[in-house]
Amino acid sequence: MTSTARISISAFPRGHEFDASRFSLSAEQVAAYLHATGDTTDYGVHVPPLAAVALGLSALQQHISLPEGSLHTGQEAEHHATLRCGDELTLTGRIAQRSERQGFVISVIEFEIAGGGEAAVRARTTIMAPASAA
Amino acid sequence: MSIDVLPVVRTLTQTQLNAYADASGDHNPIHVDEAFARTTPFGGTIAHGMLVLVLIAEMMHAAYGERWLTSGKLKVRFKAPTRPGDTVTASAAASKQADGTAEYAVQCANQRGEVLIEGRATVSAA
Repeated sequence: MTSTARISISAFPRGHEFDASRFSLSAEQVAAYLHATGDTTDYGVHVPPLAAVALGLSALQQHISLPEGSLHTGQEAEHHATLRCGDELTLTGRIAQRSERQGFVISVIEFEIAGGGEAAVRARTTIMAPASAA
Repeated sequence: MSIDVLPVVRTLTQTQLNAYADASGDHNPIHVDEAFARTTPFGGTIAHGMLVLVLIAEMMHAAYGERWLTSGKLKVRFKAPTRPGDTVTASAAASKQADGTAEYAVQCANQRGEVLIEGRATVSAA
């Protein structure tokens, strides 16, 4: 992944599309994630979908900064296919919704993680950020 | 057909929040910097929402296995902060079955009965 200038989430207009990110999740990364969460489930070679979502959000943060006072207020995830450790993944995302209320910008980031050209996980993340940071 | 989904219970610690920050790359100080967090309206650190949400995913996977990995859907709202030391219980109640899917009302609540996360999970019932 290349690093680019990060911009406050509240500054992105609805419809903004982020450059695609390519990454993979190693067995060690997934093991560290599972250890941190306390999830002792044996997923074998599979990547738990929420791990892909969490680490996908991390990849998106090469574009997005979350100003002080930002809150993650909602999350959706749809699983379509299993992901395996080491798969080459492509993440595409956009700002699907943006509204302002009571001094906060509410942004919905919609993103998809695909492996082998096939969508594996689709997710929508709702973030409330202070409008003053836009 | 809906099957019983058993609760998952876990006590979250600051050590776990720190480890999750490292694993996920989310080092927002509200999760890991106690001195900073004390100056916010929360008055202390709070868990990453995604860390707490894991309990719901873990619970659904325990019931449905690979079917959850290939057809599961989650839609939740984070209703209240989870603090280090909170014991969180994830639970599910079957709400309906239609079009080949089973739907559950899911939530996470703390030891005081406060609802932290609320929403629904669906999975292919086939």
